[in-house]
Amino acid sequence: MEVLQQLGFNPILFVAQIINFLIILFILKKILYKPLLDLLKKREDEIKKGLKDKEDAEVLLLKTQEKETQILKSANEKAKKILSDANDEAIKIRIKAEEQALRESEKILDQARRTIEQEEKEAEERLTRKIGALSLSLLQKSLVGVFGENEQNQILKKATKELERKRLL
Amino acid sequence: MASFAPEVIFYIGRFPITNTVINTILVDGFLLLVAFLTRRNLAQVPDKFQNFMEFIVGGLHDFAGSIAGSKIKVIFPFFITFFIFILVANLSGLIPGVGTIGFYETSITASGQETHFVPLNRPLTSDINATFALAIVSLVATHAYAIKTLGLTDYLTKFFSFIPFLISVAKGKPKNTIDYKDPLSLFISLLTPLVLIFVGFLELLSELVKAISLSFRLFGNIYAGEVVIYTVNDIFAFIFPIPFLILELIVGVIQALVFAMLTMVFMIILSTSHHEESNVADPEGSSTQREVSH
Repeated sequence: MEVLQQLGFNPILFVAQIINFLIILFILKKILYKPLLDLLKKREDEIKKGLKDKEDAEVLLLKTQEKETQILKSANEKAKKILSDANDEAIKIRIKAEEQALRESEKILDQARRTIEQEEKEAEERLTRKIGALSLSLLQKSLVGVFGENEQNQILKKATKELERKRLL
Repeated sequence: MASFAPEVIFYIGRFPITNTVINTILVDGFLLLVAFLTRRNLAQVPDKFQNFMEFIVGGLHDFAGSIAGSKIKVIFPFFITFFIFILVANLSGLIPGVGTIGFYETSITASGQETHFVPLNRPLTSDINATFALAIVSLVATHAYAIKTLGLTDYLTKFFSFIPFLISVAKGKPKNTIDYKDPLSLFISLLTPLVLIFVGFLELLSELVKAISLSFRLFGNIYAGEVVIYTVNDIFAFIFPIPFLILELIVGVIQALVFAMLTMVFMIILSTSHHEESNVADPEGSSTQREVSH
């Protein structure tokens, strides 16, 4: 006990120091350690969540990229098929159109040919009638003074009949 | 600074306000100020001050967690408070003015009048009252936590190893039967519980010695440091004291860490049951034991 007194041991100070430390411990625990550690924990959780979200997003991105590649590939294939089909179809249509055009042109040519023949025939007939009329007129004029009127009429009638028979009038 | 005992500056009633009490108040004030400033400006995105506090508290929490494991929640407040309280107290002795601003006091002794210097502020860890108080808090916390964790019976078996024997007797399954015809066997059988009780009390005493050791280690180191700095400052005013100040800085940090670490280790050891100890010491052996018991 004497040693303790020489070292300055004082029961009042001793108890006061115990109480002081316990109060400091309590206050620091309440206002410093707990809020700070809670905050650190919350931040750690958020970082973990962020990292997990990043990993999820990366997986999703990979999946999306794979899907995108597949879709592009499929679209390319479809487009190629459509183009190929369109080409085939175009060729078919062209051939069909060419054939139809050929048929049409032949038809037009036939019709034109027929029309020309018809017109030629009509022109020939008109010309024949004209020639007949002219011949009859020339005959009438050339008979004047050579034959009498009755004879002229008879010749003209006969010539007219003959021309009509030969379809020249 | 010549006396071990802190110098009384004045009294409030019967309560002596010593220079170490003044230091305690200043240390408390500093810690509370830091805690309030941290708490007030606490934000999800930390500023420099909060960052520093997070570094200190978070770093010590991780460090203690690597040793204490699942017991960290209870042990950590004691560990960190012991550490920062003792650290700030130790380092406060290195602040210019602490230990050097004071007054001269004349006292009458057997050899005549004696004048000595009384500093107004002296590190609280150079006061045996403070270091012993801290050690007692550490001791009580350690044992209270051990009782809470293990239960009273398991706790007592840490000191009195005859308790399992008594329990087995109470259950009607004594491990060893006494041969009353053989005097040596009878003597040993009667002596063994007495020896075990004695050893138990020695174990309990060793716990008190741990507290005394904790308090005296801290007190001795810091008081000796204060005396060295005081003496060196008396002889050389400039430059020469710097290495001693640096040494004291290191001693202050180490002593704070030693006190906090020992408290944490004592808490872990005493709150670990024999079963856990054997599992940690020899996991393969324990599995063999289990197989045998099956």
